[in-house]
Amino acid sequence: MSILKTENITYVYEDGTKALNNVSLTIEKGEKTALLGANGSGKSTFFLCLNGILKPQRGRILFKDQPVDYSRKGLLELRSKVGIVFQDPDNQLFSASVYQEISFGLMNLGASEQEAVKRVEAVMEELEILPFRHKPTHLLSGGQKKQVALADILVMEPEIVILDEPVSALDPKHTEMLNDKLIRLPDKGITVIIATHDMDYALEWADKVVLFRNGEVFAEGRAEDIFMNGELLKRTNLIQPDVIKLFSDLCAQGIIDGNLPVPRNFKTLEKYITDSVRSRSNG
Amino acid sequence: MIMLDKMAYSSGLRYISPCVKAFTAVTTLLLCVTAHSAVISLITLAVMGGLTVYKGGACPLYYIRLYRIPLLFLVLSTFTIVVSISKEPLSEVALPLFRYYLTFKGDAFYFAGNLILTALGAVSCLYFLSLTTPVTDLLYVLDILHCPGILVELLLLVYRFIFVLYDMAAAITVSQKSRLGNKDFKTSLHAMSGMLVMLLIRALKKSNLLYDAMESRCYNGKILVLRESARASRKEIVMAAAFEAVMLGICLLLRRIS
Repeated sequence: MSILKTENITYVYEDGTKALNNVSLTIEKGEKTALLGANGSGKSTFFLCLNGILKPQRGRILFKDQPVDYSRKGLLELRSKVGIVFQDPDNQLFSASVYQEISFGLMNLGASEQEAVKRVEAVMEELEILPFRHKPTHLLSGGQKKQVALADILVMEPEIVILDEPVSALDPKHTEMLNDKLIRLPDKGITVIIATHDMDYALEWADKVVLFRNGEVFAEGRAEDIFMNGELLKRTNLIQPDVIKLFSDLCAQGIIDGNLPVPRNFKTLEKYITDSVRSRSNG
Repeated sequence: MIMLDKMAYSSGLRYISPCVKAFTAVTTLLLCVTAHSAVISLITLAVMGGLTVYKGGACPLYYIRLYRIPLLFLVLSTFTIVVSISKEPLSEVALPLFRYYLTFKGDAFYFAGNLILTALGAVSCLYFLSLTTPVTDLLYVLDILHCPGILVELLLLVYRFIFVLYDMAAAITVSQKSRLGNKDFKTSLHAMSGMLVMLLIRALKKSNLLYDAMESRCYNGKILVLRESARASRKEIVMAAAFEAVMLGICLLLRRIS
Protein backbone atom coordinates (compact mmCIF):
# COMPACT_ATOMS: atom_id res chain seq x y z
CA MET A 1 0.00 0.00 0.00
CA SER A 2 1.36 3.40 -0.84
CA ILE A 3 1.59 5.60 2.24
CA LEU A 4 2.16 8.85 0.42
CA LYS A 5 1.48 9.71 -3.16
CA THR A 6 1.64 12.89 -5.18
CA GLU A 7 -0.29 13.24 -8.42
CA ASN A 8 0.95 15.84 -10.89
CA ILE A 9 1.62 18.48 -8.28
CA THR A 10 2.79 21.89 -9.47
CA TYR A 11 3.93 24.67 -7.20
CA VAL A 12 4.73 28.19 -8.37
CA TYR A 13 6.10 30.77 -5.92
CA GLU A 14 4.61 34.25 -5.80
CA ASP A 15 7.53 35.67 -7.75
CA GLY A 16 6.77 33.28 -10.62
CA THR A 17 9.45 30.67 -9.96
CA LYS A 18 8.13 27.28 -10.89
CA ALA A 19 9.57 25.17 -8.10
CA LEU A 20 7.64 21.99 -8.86
CA ASN A 21 6.29 20.92 -12.22
CA ASN A 22 3.95 17.97 -12.55
CA VAL A 23 5.59 15.86 -9.89
CA SER A 24 4.10 12.41 -9.46
CA LEU A 25 5.72 10.14 -6.96
CA THR A 26 4.64 7.18 -4.88
CA ILE A 27 6.21 6.35 -1.56
CA GLU A 28 5.58 2.82 -0.34
CA LYS A 29 5.27 2.09 3.35
CA GLY A 30 8.62 1.19 4.89
CA GLU A 31 10.50 2.02 1.72
CA LYS A 32 13.75 3.97 2.03
CA THR A 33 13.69 6.75 -0.52
CA ALA A 34 16.60 9.03 -1.38
CA LEU A 35 15.96 12.27 -3.25
CA LEU A 36 18.89 13.52 -5.26
CA GLY A 37 19.23 16.68 -7.24
CA ALA A 38 21.29 19.82 -7.57
CA ASN A 39 20.66 22.79 -5.30
CA GLY A 40 17.45 24.56 -6.25
CA SER A 41 15.97 21.54 -8.01
CA GLY A 42 12.80 21.66 -5.92
CA LYS A 43 13.50 19.12 -3.21
CA SER A 44 12.80 21.43 -0.29
CA THR A 45 9.61 22.78 -1.85
CA PHE A 46 8.49 19.22 -2.45
CA PHE A 47 9.01 18.42 1.24
CA LEU A 48 7.02 21.44 2.35
CA CYS A 49 4.18 20.25 0.13
CA LEU A 50 4.24 16.75 1.61
CA ASN A 51 3.75 18.25 5.05
CA GLY A 52 0.99 20.64 4.02
CA ILE A 53 3.00 23.80 4.66
CA LEU A 54 2.69 24.65 0.98
CA LYS A 55 -0.40 23.81 -1.00
CA PRO A 56 0.32 22.91 -4.61
CA GLN A 57 -1.65 24.98 -7.12
CA ARG A 58 -2.32 21.93 -9.24
CA GLY A 59 -2.43 18.21 -8.60
CA ARG A 60 -3.13 16.47 -5.33
CA ILE A 61 -1.42 14.62 -2.52
CA LEU A 62 -2.76 11.38 -1.09
CA PHE A 63 -1.88 10.18 2.37
CA LYS A 64 -2.82 6.52 2.74
CA ASP A 65 -4.94 6.84 -0.42
CA GLN A 66 -6.95 9.71 1.07
CA PRO A 67 -6.56 13.16 -0.51
CA VAL A 68 -5.04 15.63 1.95
CA ASP A 69 -7.66 17.72 3.70
CA TYR A 70 -6.40 21.31 3.91
CA SER A 71 -8.67 22.34 6.77
CA ARG A 72 -6.98 23.20 10.06
CA LYS A 73 -7.87 19.83 11.52
CA GLY A 74 -6.81 17.90 8.44
CA LEU A 75 -3.46 19.66 8.34
CA LEU A 76 -2.75 18.94 12.00
CA GLU A 77 -3.57 15.30 11.32
CA LEU A 78 -1.20 15.20 8.33
CA ARG A 79 1.61 17.01 10.17
CA SER A 80 1.37 14.68 13.11
CA LYS A 81 2.04 11.80 10.71
CA VAL A 82 4.62 13.40 8.42
CA GLY A 83 7.57 15.05 10.15
CA ILE A 84 10.32 17.13 8.55
CA VAL A 85 13.81 17.55 9.97
CA PHE A 86 15.00 20.78 8.40
CA GLN A 87 18.46 21.24 6.97
CA ASP A 88 19.57 24.11 9.18
CA PRO A 89 18.74 23.42 12.83
CA ASP A 90 18.97 27.15 13.56
CA ASN A 91 15.80 27.55 11.53
CA GLN A 92 14.07 24.81 13.45
CA LEU A 93 15.10 25.16 17.09
CA PHE A 94 13.08 28.02 18.56
CA SER A 95 13.79 27.55 22.24
CA ALA A 96 17.01 27.97 24.19
CA SER A 97 16.11 24.95 26.29
CA VAL A 98 16.67 21.50 24.78
CA TYR A 99 13.91 20.01 26.88
CA GLN A 100 11.31 22.61 25.92
CA GLU A 101 12.34 22.37 22.31
CA ILE A 102 11.78 18.63 22.11
CA SER A 103 8.49 18.77 23.97
CA PHE A 104 6.96 21.35 21.60
CA GLY A 105 5.53 19.06 18.92
CA LEU A 106 4.30 16.58 21.46
CA MET A 107 2.45 19.21 23.50
CA ASN A 108 0.88 20.51 20.30
CA LEU A 109 -0.50 17.03 19.70
CA GLY A 110 -2.25 17.35 23.03
CA ALA A 111 -0.22 14.80 24.96
CA SER A 112 -0.72 14.87 28.72
CA GLU A 113 2.14 16.25 30.76
CA GLN A 114 3.00 12.84 32.23
CA GLU A 115 3.01 11.16 28.87
CA ALA A 116 5.06 14.00 27.35
CA VAL A 117 7.72 13.85 30.07
CA LYS A 118 8.05 10.12 29.53
CA ARG A 119 8.40 10.35 25.79
CA VAL A 120 10.79 13.31 25.83
CA GLU A 121 13.05 11.50 28.29
CA ALA A 122 12.94 8.33 26.17
CA VAL A 123 13.83 10.09 22.94
CA MET A 124 16.65 12.02 24.62
CA GLU A 125 18.12 8.78 25.85
CA GLU A 126 17.75 7.08 22.50
CA LEU A 127 19.42 9.88 20.57
CA GLU A 128 22.20 10.36 23.15
CA ILE A 129 21.08 13.86 24.06
CA LEU A 130 21.21 13.34 27.83
CA PRO A 131 24.87 14.46 28.24
CA PHE A 132 24.01 17.96 27.04
CA ARG A 133 20.34 18.24 27.92
CA HIS A 134 20.94 21.12 30.32
CA LYS A 135 22.95 23.17 27.86
CA PRO A 136 21.21 26.02 26.04
CA THR A 137 20.73 25.39 22.33
CA HIS A 138 23.01 28.30 21.39
CA LEU A 139 25.96 26.62 23.08
CA LEU A 140 25.50 23.28 21.29
CA SER A 141 27.73 22.16 18.43
CA GLY A 142 26.30 21.73 14.95
CA GLY A 143 26.06 17.97 15.40
CA GLN A 144 24.32 18.26 18.73
CA LYS A 145 21.81 20.71 17.28
CA LYS A 146 21.08 18.16 14.56
CA GLN A 147 20.47 15.49 17.18
CA VAL A 148 17.97 17.76 18.90
CA ALA A 149 16.32 18.59 15.56
CA LEU A 150 15.83 14.88 14.90
CA ALA A 151 14.51 14.33 18.43
CA ASP A 152 12.01 17.17 17.84
CA ILE A 153 10.39 15.06 15.16
CA LEU A 154 10.88 11.51 16.45
CA VAL A 155 9.22 12.37 19.75
CA MET A 156 5.99 12.95 17.82
CA GLU A 157 6.19 9.34 16.57
CA PRO A 158 5.36 10.14 12.95
CA GLU A 159 4.80 7.48 10.30
CA ILE A 160 6.98 9.28 7.78
CA VAL A 161 10.17 11.15 8.58
CA ILE A 162 11.60 13.49 5.96
CA LEU A 163 15.21 14.58 6.37
CA ASP A 164 16.64 17.45 4.37
CA GLU A 165 20.37 16.77 4.05
CA PRO A 166 20.73 15.30 7.53
CA VAL A 167 24.50 14.98 7.61
CA SER A 168 25.55 18.08 5.69
CA ALA A 169 28.27 20.05 7.50
CA LEU A 170 28.72 17.46 10.24
CA ASP A 171 32.02 16.04 11.44
CA PRO A 172 32.68 12.33 10.74
CA LYS A 173 31.86 11.26 14.27
CA HIS A 174 28.46 12.91 14.28
CA THR A 175 27.80 11.77 10.73
CA GLU A 176 28.39 8.17 11.75
CA MET A 177 26.27 8.49 14.86
CA LEU A 178 23.38 10.12 13.06
CA ASN A 179 23.53 7.60 10.22
CA ASP A 180 23.47 4.83 12.76
CA LYS A 181 20.23 6.24 14.20
CA LEU A 182 18.72 6.80 10.76
CA ILE A 183 19.42 3.25 9.65
CA ARG A 184 17.32 1.94 12.51
CA LEU A 185 14.25 4.07 11.81
CA PRO A 186 12.69 1.73 9.21
CA ASP A 187 12.88 -1.13 11.72
CA LYS A 188 10.38 0.79 13.84
CA GLY A 189 7.98 0.96 10.94
CA ILE A 190 8.89 4.52 10.03
CA THR A 191 9.07 5.38 6.36
CA VAL A 192 12.12 7.56 5.74
CA ILE A 193 12.72 10.02 2.91
CA ILE A 194 16.12 11.66 2.70
CA ALA A 195 17.39 14.45 0.47
CA THR A 196 21.14 14.16 0.13
CA HIS A 197 24.14 15.04 -2.00
CA ASP A 198 26.08 12.08 -0.69
CA MET A 199 25.98 9.53 -3.51
CA ASP A 200 27.77 6.76 -1.61
CA TYR A 201 25.35 7.11 1.23
CA ALA A 202 22.32 7.04 -1.04
CA LEU A 203 23.61 3.91 -2.81
CA GLU A 204 24.22 2.03 0.39
CA TRP A 205 21.08 3.08 2.20
CA ALA A 206 18.26 3.67 -0.24
CA ASP A 207 15.81 1.21 -1.77
CA LYS A 208 14.58 3.78 -4.22
CA VAL A 209 16.35 6.77 -5.71
CA VAL A 210 14.54 9.73 -7.22
CA LEU A 211 16.39 12.28 -9.33
CA PHE A 212 15.03 15.82 -9.30
CA ARG A 213 15.87 18.30 -12.02
CA ASN A 214 14.37 21.77 -12.47
CA GLY A 215 11.36 20.91 -10.37
CA GLU A 216 10.59 17.68 -12.17
CA VAL A 217 11.14 14.05 -11.40
CA PHE A 218 13.82 13.26 -13.95
CA ALA A 219 14.20 9.61 -13.13
CA GLU A 220 13.31 7.14 -10.42
CA GLY A 221 14.15 3.55 -9.79
CA ARG A 222 16.16 1.08 -7.76
CA ALA A 223 19.35 2.62 -6.38
CA GLU A 224 21.60 0.19 -8.32
CA ASP A 225 19.87 0.87 -11.64
CA ILE A 226 19.98 4.64 -11.32
CA PHE A 227 23.59 4.77 -10.26
CA MET A 228 24.81 2.41 -12.99
CA ASN A 229 23.46 4.90 -15.52
CA GLY A 230 26.28 7.42 -15.69
CA GLU A 231 24.72 9.37 -18.54
CA LEU A 232 21.53 9.98 -16.56
CA LEU A 233 23.44 11.22 -13.55
CA LYS A 234 25.53 13.58 -15.60
CA ARG A 235 22.43 15.25 -16.96
CA THR A 236 21.28 16.01 -13.40
CA ASN A 237 24.68 17.47 -12.46
CA LEU A 238 25.45 14.48 -10.26
CA ILE A 239 28.33 12.04 -10.33
CA GLN A 240 28.44 8.28 -9.94
CA PRO A 241 29.33 6.90 -6.51
CA ASP A 242 32.97 5.79 -6.25
CA VAL A 243 31.96 2.17 -5.64
CA ILE A 244 30.03 2.07 -8.89
CA LYS A 245 32.83 3.74 -10.86
CA LEU A 246 35.38 1.23 -9.62
CA PHE A 247 32.98 -1.68 -10.13
CA SER A 248 32.28 -0.69 -13.75
CA ASP A 249 35.99 -0.24 -14.48
CA LEU A 250 36.89 -3.59 -12.98
CA CYS A 251 34.10 -5.29 -14.94
CA ALA A 252 35.22 -3.61 -18.17
CA GLN A 253 38.75 -4.83 -17.62
CA GLY A 254 37.48 -8.32 -16.92
CA ILE A 255 38.94 -8.43 -13.43
CA ILE A 256 35.59 -9.26 -11.87
CA ASP A 257 32.52 -10.90 -13.31
CA GLY A 258 30.13 -8.35 -14.81
CA ASN A 259 27.12 -10.51 -14.00
CA LEU A 260 27.53 -10.07 -10.27
CA PRO A 261 24.85 -7.96 -8.57
CA VAL A 262 25.84 -4.30 -8.27
CA PRO A 263 27.73 -3.74 -5.00
CA ARG A 264 26.19 -1.13 -2.71
CA ASN A 265 29.25 -0.46 -0.62
CA PHE A 266 33.00 -0.91 -0.68
CA LYS A 267 32.82 -3.93 1.58
CA THR A 268 30.86 -5.92 -1.00
CA LEU A 269 33.14 -4.76 -3.79
CA GLU A 270 36.19 -5.76 -1.77
CA LYS A 271 34.70 -9.21 -1.34
CA TYR A 272 34.15 -9.52 -5.10
CA ILE A 273 37.78 -8.60 -5.73
CA THR A 274 39.26 -10.95 -3.16
CA ASP A 275 37.01 -13.78 -4.37
CA SER A 276 38.07 -13.17 -7.93
CA VAL A 277 41.77 -13.00 -7.04
CA ARG A 278 41.50 -16.16 -4.94
CA SER A 279 39.70 -18.14 -7.63
CA ARG A 280 42.38 -17.11 -10.14
CA SER A 281 45.29 -18.09 -7.96
CA ASN A 282 43.54 -21.40 -7.21
CA GLY A 283 42.73 -22.00 -10.84
CA MET B 1 26.22 40.05 27.87
CA ILE B 2 27.12 36.75 26.18
CA MET B 3 29.57 36.17 29.02
CA LEU B 4 26.87 36.78 31.64
CA ASP B 5 24.69 34.24 29.89
CA LYS B 6 27.44 31.63 29.84
CA MET B 7 28.20 32.16 33.51
CA ALA B 8 24.55 31.63 34.43
CA TYR B 9 24.61 28.20 32.76
CA SER B 10 27.79 27.11 34.50
CA SER B 11 26.90 28.57 37.90
CA GLY B 12 27.06 26.31 40.92
CA LEU B 13 23.66 27.62 41.97
CA ARG B 14 22.06 26.89 38.63
CA TYR B 15 20.05 23.90 39.82
CA ILE B 16 18.61 25.67 42.84
CA SER B 17 14.94 26.37 42.22
CA PRO B 18 14.64 29.60 40.18
CA CYS B 19 11.61 30.60 42.25
CA VAL B 20 13.70 30.61 45.42
CA LYS B 21 16.48 32.57 43.74
CA ALA B 22 14.08 35.11 42.24
CA PHE B 23 12.29 35.49 45.58
CA THR B 24 15.58 36.06 47.42
CA ALA B 25 16.89 38.53 44.86
CA VAL B 26 13.70 40.58 44.58
CA THR B 27 12.91 40.69 48.31
CA THR B 28 16.47 41.62 49.24
CA LEU B 29 16.45 44.29 46.56
CA LEU B 30 13.23 45.78 47.90
CA LEU B 31 14.52 45.73 51.47
CA CYS B 32 17.80 47.28 50.43
CA VAL B 33 16.12 50.09 48.52
CA THR B 34 13.45 50.87 51.11
CA ALA B 35 15.78 50.71 54.10
CA HIS B 36 18.22 53.09 52.47
CA SER B 37 20.84 52.43 55.12
CA ALA B 38 24.54 51.85 54.69
CA VAL B 39 24.52 48.83 57.01
CA ILE B 40 21.78 47.02 55.09
CA SER B 41 23.42 47.88 51.75
CA LEU B 42 26.77 46.51 52.91
CA ILE B 43 25.17 43.31 54.20
CA THR B 44 23.33 42.92 50.90
CA LEU B 45 26.49 43.47 48.89
CA ALA B 46 28.44 41.01 51.02
CA VAL B 47 25.80 38.27 51.02
CA MET B 48 24.87 38.56 47.33
CA GLY B 49 28.50 38.87 46.28
CA GLY B 50 29.46 35.93 48.48
CA LEU B 51 26.67 33.76 47.11
CA THR B 52 27.47 34.62 43.50
CA VAL B 53 31.22 34.17 43.80
CA TYR B 54 31.68 31.40 46.39
CA LYS B 55 28.54 29.34 45.92
CA GLY B 56 28.01 30.20 42.27
CA GLY B 57 31.66 29.94 41.30
CA ALA B 58 31.76 33.19 39.33
CA CYS B 59 35.31 34.48 38.73
CA PRO B 60 35.87 37.12 41.50
CA LEU B 61 37.86 39.44 39.27
CA TYR B 62 35.23 39.36 36.56
CA TYR B 63 32.51 39.86 39.15
CA ILE B 64 34.20 42.97 40.56
CA ARG B 65 34.73 44.33 37.06
CA LEU B 66 31.01 44.03 36.44
CA TYR B 67 30.49 46.85 38.94
CA ARG B 68 32.63 49.28 36.98
CA ILE B 69 29.89 50.54 34.69
CA PRO B 70 27.17 51.07 37.33
CA LEU B 71 29.79 52.62 39.61
CA LEU B 72 30.84 55.07 36.93
CA PHE B 73 27.26 56.20 36.43
CA LEU B 74 26.68 56.47 40.16
CA VAL B 75 29.78 58.55 40.79
CA LEU B 76 28.95 60.87 37.93
CA SER B 77 25.38 61.39 39.05
CA THR B 78 26.11 61.80 42.77
CA PHE B 79 28.79 64.35 41.91
CA THR B 80 26.02 66.86 41.29
CA ILE B 81 24.54 66.18 44.72
CA VAL B 82 27.79 66.79 46.54
CA VAL B 83 28.98 69.77 44.57
CA SER B 84 26.97 72.91 44.07
CA ILE B 85 27.73 76.31 42.65
CA SER B 86 26.65 79.45 44.44
CA LYS B 87 27.53 83.10 44.74
CA GLU B 88 28.16 82.87 48.48
CA PRO B 89 30.62 80.49 50.15
CA LEU B 90 27.87 78.46 51.88
CA SER B 91 29.88 75.64 53.39
CA GLU B 92 33.15 75.33 55.29
CA VAL B 93 34.89 74.10 52.10
CA ALA B 94 34.41 76.41 49.13
CA LEU B 95 36.59 76.82 46.10
CA PRO B 96 36.45 80.21 44.47
CA LEU B 97 35.77 79.98 40.75
CA PHE B 98 35.68 83.35 39.01
CA ARG B 99 32.75 85.10 40.71
CA TYR B 100 31.18 81.93 42.05
CA TYR B 101 32.08 79.30 44.61
CA LEU B 102 32.19 75.52 44.25
CA THR B 103 30.80 74.38 47.56
CA PHE B 104 30.89 70.89 49.15
CA LYS B 105 28.40 70.07 51.81
CA GLY B 106 29.57 67.72 54.54
CA ASP B 107 26.28 65.89 55.03
CA ALA B 108 25.91 65.62 51.28
CA PHE B 109 28.98 63.37 51.25
CA TYR B 110 27.28 61.00 53.64
CA PHE B 111 24.07 61.17 51.64
CA ALA B 112 25.86 60.48 48.35
CA GLY B 113 27.84 57.61 49.84
CA ASN B 114 24.68 56.08 51.18
CA LEU B 115 23.00 56.45 47.81
CA ILE B 116 25.87 54.77 46.00
CA LEU B 117 25.90 51.88 48.47
CA THR B 118 22.14 51.40 48.21
CA ALA B 119 22.30 51.36 44.43
CA LEU B 120 25.23 48.93 44.44
CA GLY B 121 23.35 46.71 46.86
CA ALA B 122 20.38 46.66 44.50
CA VAL B 123 22.68 45.93 41.56
CA SER B 124 24.27 43.05 43.46
CA CYS B 125 20.82 41.45 43.86
CA LEU B 126 20.24 41.65 40.14
CA TYR B 127 23.72 40.32 39.37
CA PHE B 128 23.05 37.45 41.74
CA LEU B 129 19.91 36.56 39.79
CA SER B 130 21.41 36.99 36.34
CA LEU B 131 24.65 35.16 37.13
CA THR B 132 23.00 32.12 38.69
CA THR B 133 19.74 31.76 36.76
CA PRO B 134 19.56 31.09 33.01
CA VAL B 135 16.91 33.02 31.11
CA THR B 136 14.95 29.84 30.40
CA ASP B 137 14.53 29.39 34.16
CA LEU B 138 13.46 33.00 34.59
CA LEU B 139 10.78 32.43 31.97
CA TYR B 140 9.55 29.55 34.09
CA VAL B 141 9.22 31.94 37.04
CA LEU B 142 7.31 34.43 34.90
CA ASP B 143 5.02 31.61 33.85
CA ILE B 144 4.33 30.67 37.45
CA LEU B 145 3.58 34.31 38.25
CA HIS B 146 0.95 34.20 35.48
CA CYS B 147 2.74 36.67 33.30
CA PRO B 148 0.78 37.10 30.01
CA GLY B 149 1.57 34.20 27.68
CA ILE B 150 2.34 36.44 24.72
CA LEU B 151 5.07 38.18 26.72
CA VAL B 152 6.70 34.94 27.81
CA GLU B 153 6.55 33.57 24.26
CA LEU B 154 8.10 36.74 22.89
CA LEU B 155 10.89 36.61 25.45
CA LEU B 156 11.51 32.97 24.60
CA LEU B 157 11.86 33.68 20.88
CA VAL B 158 13.82 36.90 21.34
CA TYR B 159 16.27 35.23 23.69
CA ARG B 160 16.86 32.34 21.30
CA PHE B 161 17.34 34.60 18.29
CA ILE B 162 19.65 37.08 19.96
CA PHE B 163 22.27 34.37 19.68
CA VAL B 164 21.40 33.27 16.17
CA LEU B 165 21.56 36.86 14.89
CA TYR B 166 24.63 37.65 16.96
CA ASP B 167 26.48 34.71 15.38
CA MET B 168 25.34 35.83 11.97
CA ALA B 169 26.52 39.40 12.56
CA ALA B 170 29.85 38.16 13.88
CA ALA B 171 30.35 35.93 10.82
CA ILE B 172 29.54 38.76 8.41
CA THR B 173 31.89 41.13 10.26
CA VAL B 174 34.74 38.64 10.17
CA SER B 175 34.30 38.04 6.46
CA GLN B 176 34.24 41.79 5.86
CA LYS B 177 37.39 42.31 7.88
CA SER B 178 39.16 39.55 5.98
CA ARG B 179 38.48 41.54 2.82
CA LEU B 180 39.81 44.80 4.32
CA GLY B 181 36.28 46.04 4.99
CA ASN B 182 37.51 48.22 7.83
CA LYS B 183 40.75 49.65 6.47
CA ASP B 184 39.68 53.20 7.28
CA PHE B 185 36.78 54.99 8.89
CA LYS B 186 34.82 55.41 5.68
CA THR B 187 35.04 51.77 4.61
CA SER B 188 34.16 50.55 8.09
CA LEU B 189 31.02 52.69 8.09
CA HIS B 190 30.14 51.31 4.69
CA ALA B 191 30.80 47.73 5.83
CA MET B 192 28.75 48.26 8.97
CA SER B 193 25.75 49.53 7.03
CA GLY B 194 26.00 46.58 4.66
CA MET B 195 26.15 44.19 7.58
CA LEU B 196 23.05 45.70 9.21
CA VAL B 197 21.04 45.55 5.99
CA MET B 198 22.04 41.93 5.49
CA LEU B 199 21.13 41.13 9.06
CA LEU B 200 17.67 42.63 8.65
CA ILE B 201 17.02 40.71 5.44
CA ARG B 202 18.22 37.45 6.91
CA ALA B 203 16.26 37.99 10.11
CA LEU B 204 13.07 38.40 8.07
CA LYS B 205 13.90 35.32 6.02
CA LYS B 206 14.72 33.31 9.10
CA SER B 207 11.47 34.25 10.77
CA ASN B 208 9.59 32.84 7.78
CA LEU B 209 11.60 29.63 7.82
CA LEU B 210 11.14 29.26 11.56
CA TYR B 211 7.40 29.74 11.22
CA ASP B 212 7.30 26.99 8.58
CA ALA B 213 9.30 24.70 10.83
CA MET B 214 7.01 25.38 13.78
CA GLU B 215 3.90 24.89 11.67
CA SER B 216 5.23 21.57 10.47
CA ARG B 217 5.26 20.53 14.11
CA CYS B 218 1.57 21.37 14.49
CA TYR B 219 2.04 24.88 15.90
CA ASN B 220 -1.40 26.27 16.54
CA GLY B 221 -0.84 29.85 17.63
CA LYS B 222 0.33 29.11 21.13
CA ILE B 223 3.77 27.89 22.10
CA LEU B 224 3.07 24.88 24.25
CA VAL B 225 6.14 23.38 25.89
CA LEU B 226 6.98 21.35 28.94
CA ARG B 227 8.52 23.48 31.64
CA GLU B 228 11.35 21.78 33.38
CA SER B 229 12.85 23.33 36.44
CA ALA B 230 14.54 22.39 39.68
CA ARG B 231 12.02 21.98 42.49
CA ALA B 232 12.47 24.01 45.62
CA SER B 233 13.68 21.85 48.48
CA ARG B 234 12.38 22.58 51.96
CA LYS B 235 15.89 23.49 53.07
CA GLU B 236 16.24 26.17 50.37
CA ILE B 237 12.86 27.69 51.19
CA VAL B 238 13.63 27.79 54.90
CA MET B 239 17.07 29.31 54.31
CA ALA B 240 15.76 31.98 51.97
CA ALA B 241 12.88 32.86 54.30
CA ALA B 242 15.21 32.96 57.34
CA PHE B 243 17.64 35.25 55.53
CA GLU B 244 14.89 37.66 54.54
CA ALA B 245 13.47 37.60 58.06
CA VAL B 246 16.88 38.48 59.52
CA MET B 247 17.31 41.29 56.99
CA LEU B 248 13.85 42.62 57.82
CA GLY B 249 14.70 42.43 61.54
CA ILE B 250 17.89 44.44 61.04
CA CYS B 251 15.96 47.01 59.00
CA LEU B 252 13.39 47.48 61.76
CA LEU B 253 16.09 47.61 64.43
CA LEU B 254 18.02 50.30 62.56
CA ARG B 255 14.87 52.34 62.11
CA ARG B 256 14.12 52.19 65.82
CA ILE B 257 17.66 53.30 66.74
CA SER B 258 17.55 56.28 64.42
